[in-house]
Amino acid sequence: MIIAERKPMEEIKQLIAPYKKVLVAGCGTCVTVCWAGGEKEVAVLASQLRLARSAEGSEISVLEATVERQCEKEMVVELEDKVAEVEAVLSLACGSGVQTMAEMFEDKPVLPAVNTTFIGMPEKEGLWVEMCGACGDCFLDRTGGICPIVRCAKGLLNGPCGGTRRGGKCEIDPEKDCAWVLIYRRLEKQGRLDLMRKYYEPKNYRAVKRPGKVQAMQA
Amino acid sequence: METKIGVFLCNCGGAIKNIDFDAVAKKVAKFPGVTCVNLSSNLCLEEGKEKMISCIREEHIERTVVAACSPEFTEHIFQEVLEKSGLNDHLMSMANIREQCSWAHEGDVTEKAVELVKMAVNKVRFLQPMEKKAVPVNREVLVVGGGFSAINTALQLSRVGLRTTILEKEAALGAGTEKLESFYGFYPSSMVSAVEGGRNIEILTSAQMTAVEGNIGDFGVRIRKGGEEISRKYGAIVIATGYKTELTLDSEPKLRAEDEAISGINIVSQEQFCRMLRNPSLKTEPKTIGFMFDFSDENSRFPTLATLNNALAAKKKWGSEIYVFYKSVKVDSEGVEKLYQEARDYGVVFLRSEISPTITIKNGRVKIEAKDVFLGEDVILACDILVAEELYLPAEETETLSSLLNIRVDSRGFYQDENVHLYPVSSERKGIFFVGGCRDDLDLGRVLTDISSVVINVHELLFSGKIPVDVERVKADPQKCVACLTCIRVCPHGAIQLVRADNSKEVAGISDLACDACGICAAICPAKAIKFQGYRDEEILAQIEAIGESSNGRIVAFCCEHSAYPAADLAGKLRLHYPENLRVIRVPCAGQVDVFHILKAFEKGAATVLVMGCEDGACHHITGNIRAKERVNYCNMLLKEVRVDDRPVAMFNVSPNAPYKFVRAVNEITKITKESGR
Repeated sequence: MIIAERKPMEEIKQLIAPYKKVLVAGCGTCVTVCWAGGEKEVAVLASQLRLARSAEGSEISVLEATVERQCEKEMVVELEDKVAEVEAVLSLACGSGVQTMAEMFEDKPVLPAVNTTFIGMPEKEGLWVEMCGACGDCFLDRTGGICPIVRCAKGLLNGPCGGTRRGGKCEIDPEKDCAWVLIYRRLEKQGRLDLMRKYYEPKNYRAVKRPGKVQAMQA
Repeated sequence: METKIGVFLCNCGGAIKNIDFDAVAKKVAKFPGVTCVNLSSNLCLEEGKEKMISCIREEHIERTVVAACSPEFTEHIFQEVLEKSGLNDHLMSMANIREQCSWAHEGDVTEKAVELVKMAVNKVRFLQPMEKKAVPVNREVLVVGGGFSAINTALQLSRVGLRTTILEKEAALGAGTEKLESFYGFYPSSMVSAVEGGRNIEILTSAQMTAVEGNIGDFGVRIRKGGEEISRKYGAIVIATGYKTELTLDSEPKLRAEDEAISGINIVSQEQFCRMLRNPSLKTEPKTIGFMFDFSDENSRFPTLATLNNALAAKKKWGSEIYVFYKSVKVDSEGVEKLYQEARDYGVVFLRSEISPTITIKNGRVKIEAKDVFLGEDVILACDILVAEELYLPAEETETLSSLLNIRVDSRGFYQDENVHLYPVSSERKGIFFVGGCRDDLDLGRVLTDISSVVINVHELLFSGKIPVDVERVKADPQKCVACLTCIRVCPHGAIQLVRADNSKEVAGISDLACDACGICAAICPAKAIKFQGYRDEEILAQIEAIGESSNGRIVAFCCEHSAYPAADLAGKLRLHYPENLRVIRVPCAGQVDVFHILKAFEKGAATVLVMGCEDGACHHITGNIRAKERVNYCNMLLKEVRVDDRPVAMFNVSPNAPYKFVRAVNEITKITKESGR
């Protein structure tokens, strides 16, 4: 799931400074689940903007809407009427949603209200951790299903650095587990420790094609 | 067509003096939708109720507002009236113009009364009828454990006609009950044979619970017995897995086996000492005996009881010299003061020490060294036997079982959260109960009370074979739910599970039976998919709207109906006056208060928002007040981003019997609000 975080309020206020009528547009999928851009967050941000403007003594009219997936043109089109009413759209969707919206309504500025942060999973309610760097060259089969590219602070591909702390913690952040210790223990459990001896060549990230495209065979 | 609203005002037989009811009636009549306004002085009496019924029928009223005393006292009466007049009993809202208006303020409060009625009228427009249903439940009960509590609970449940299964991990029942024999003078063996002969009781020994699913009325339990896994269904589960004791002596000298105990030196547990006492072939009677207790935990009931009982019994039987080293001797169990006195009278010597004595073995005897508080001197005693201090601890399987059952343990690891609302035998999950030693260090009297409580509770729940519920009182809209699992993770009552809606996508399904109607899920749902009838956005915002129109300096207080709301009522009853600018919105739990509702209150002109819930550690819904506090902090952060105010949202913890605290909080916050110029 894509994880996002709301931008700092100062930045959002500046983004919409020129406008008196905006639409706060949420997305009902990933960013709802990570409490960044669902219907609740739309209502909260809209309320905050109204309060901000009234404290400044300037006017604002804030419309609110949430679609199921902002990265689908067919779903974004539902917002046509509301977008027509406003000067700008403040999107709480991930970067993909913002761009879909911007493409659909080319005559209106579509402004991002969240920073799309990473692909992750919830550790408990309200806490998400990064799990995947979307590198385009998955090798989780060899690391016991633990990705060192994002879960190791240094993104090391061949075992831990020299700084692993006592108890298998990371030298950069002692709160975090060393990904390579986790990988070792997982492989040990599976009787596949031989994989630790394998050498992996540095990944050539420059080879990742931008912009990425995935074509499903059956489509 | 506009919904027809009937407003019923009551002056409570003249007890509400500072409200001009004619003026209220005139103003209220002009509110949109209000079809009729009735004045009464005895709405809750037969005459008043009859008038109300005939008015509802004649005027074809669709929603009712009752402006009278607190809903805490009369809501159920007016709900019955609605039912009799053919209206769904949920289509009513009450304005508390007595306790929280007339009695709470000095001077004329007509204007506030009008505003309170307006809040109720605004809310009632949005209320929806709620269907009632009796859900069939399984009448069988599972009792886990094989000791005194478990056997007695099963016996009593079977006697009231509920079929019961006893699930015991040991090979036979009553293994741990031996201890009780010497303390209380009865024989568990008769109890065991009674339960074995019980027609309504099934006994599964050498068996363990491996999984539990479902909710009250329909728990699906998987049991491993022998090599086999069996699945059973139960309506309720009673946990009676007891406790364990452990000697506090962690270093040498080590305990010796029982047979060696008779020969001379020894350090023994209470249980071993009991066996010695009962042993008819004991060769050498110990001449000097030392006891130690309550140094590690002075609130220990069972160790206190065991020490006094055993010391006295030994004195009577052997006439030995007996010295008891203690710290406090707390005697809160029934009859223990008497027992203590009796022991002293018989010549048992009690020596008080602040710190645990030092134990060594010297010349084949146990040497106890302590600093006696009263003598102010060191006391050294060489004795034949030391009955060492024992700790009362949760049974081995507590952790495993609590995670299977999805219930909490307290800070010492015993079942049952330390929460006054759960005492004596309830858990945060409906239909799961605790009895006896598994939930606390209890004496027999308290255990018997537990057993009675649990039998009454279970009987009341299951005996009729069905439980009445409000259908879909709290519901996740399957169209909006994104299955983020947040509600499942936060529900303190374990009432939410993923279900397949119409055989398609998985969504949060809230069990009407297991739901305790706190609304914590509704307040946290990021998709705003969960609706709690009566406390939906529309209904809360409608009330805020009514406050807003005449606001400025208004303090909006979201008051939990288990704590702050009754505290406010009590303040009114005691005529403790507080500023008129307080507007109370009644909520089922402080944890139901949504960040968005608080922000809306500010949008509508509130100067300050109060969230008032149960005291720390005593939330009716376990975590509601903790979540409320987190949200209040979050709200202050959100507001700080856009305004200059200093913490305009405040959280207060109040218990329902603390009217003075309630009033102090309101006064304090009014003062702060004034000073900050809001």
